[in-house]
Amino acid sequence: MSLGDELRYLRAFHGGAHPQEIEAQAGLKPGTLRAIEQRYRRTGEDDEVLAKIAAVYDVPLEKLQYHRERYRKALSTVLQQALEAGTTARFELRTGETLSGRVRWWDLGAFGLEPEGDGPLIVVQRHAVVDWPMPDDQRRKTSEVSETSEV
Amino acid sequence: MPEDLRTLRERKKLSLNQLASKSGISIAMLIEYEKGEREIPPADLRRLAKPLYVNEWDINPRSAPPPSPPRPERPAGPPRPPRPREEQPEKLPKEKRPPRPPAPARSTQVAHLLTLAARFNIDRAALEAEIGKPLEQLTLKEARFWNGRFMRRIAEERPPKQAVDRRRAYLPEGIDGFELAYLQAQQEAGALLHFTLFNGQTFEGTVAGFGPYQITIRESGGDEITLNKLAIAYYRKAGGAA
Repeated sequence: MSLGDELRYLRAFHGGAHPQEIEAQAGLKPGTLRAIEQRYRRTGEDDEVLAKIAAVYDVPLEKLQYHRERYRKALSTVLQQALEAGTTARFELRTGETLSGRVRWWDLGAFGLEPEGDGPLIVVQRHAVVDWPMPDDQRRKTSEVSETSEV
Repeated sequence: MPEDLRTLRERKKLSLNQLASKSGISIAMLIEYEKGEREIPPADLRRLAKPLYVNEWDINPRSAPPPSPPRPERPAGPPRPPRPREEQPEKLPKEKRPPRPPAPARSTQVAHLLTLAARFNIDRAALEAEIGKPLEQLTLKEARFWNGRFMRRIAEERPPKQAVDRRRAYLPEGIDGFELAYLQAQQEAGALLHFTLFNGQTFEGTVAGFGPYQITIRESGGDEITLNKLAIAYYRKAGGAA
């Protein structure tokens, strides 16, 4: 789950407040939270900003940093690689379940997973995926990106 | 039975200005549509149907021209006296100006023409032969004509673009291309889907409809439930284990 998805999830659990209200509470510039929530690329580089948001939502900063590494484009890369290779991929969901199977298609909102063995295609919502096994090259890329400015 | 645009607009008590702002079509264009001077294209029919609260087929694409208002009759009075011709100033004959020489082609036009010709493997010499004169002697109008000719040729040879009606959702959880196709297929097939939400709650039903951020399902009892996309973790056809 990307940082943006996690923040929207947290916002929903905090009464579904408008991003501007959260920004005001956290003392952030208008549009900061909205930008993080909407982005597909890696975002939320500034730990100070994340710490302020974490304080408002009463969650540890490390949790937000964890989701920062799982940005939406990183998931897209994994899905595309799994689709091209035709290999089995594993995804951990927010429900606590782990789904594995072959990726048949993916788009910006969801992906179709053909489960191992028999069973109908599962349409998994991307915002429900908490974690996925990241290939080594993506880990390297992620660490490289974190050293440079935001993509 | 389709009705004329003006009839529908007046029935809804909308002014031309109001309809223009609601539909996004200019007043001048609306007047032409209402007078029947121009046929309303399908895209504009759709834009007009919404503010008029009608279906697009309820609007007559070609309105009947309005009847011309009767001319007010002039009250019969004494005939006007003829104007005295002598008082009018005599018109002086206009001096004939020599015709202007045609403006030469701009250097950018010539450069563009050479670029366009190069796409068809026509070099400068061949181009000049086709035009019938050196490029330096080309006039502005001629350059415009030849550029237009090449542009049309390019447009004709270009393969037609495939119309893709894809409107990407604003929020990341929105329904995108593949999921849209999947849901449409399941809706048409009347397939029973099993939904699992973030909190573990499950729902089962056929797809009654869906928007960018919601899916409405009809349960076996006939009840309809709208599920927020953000709350859904995954779904599949009912009957299989996740």
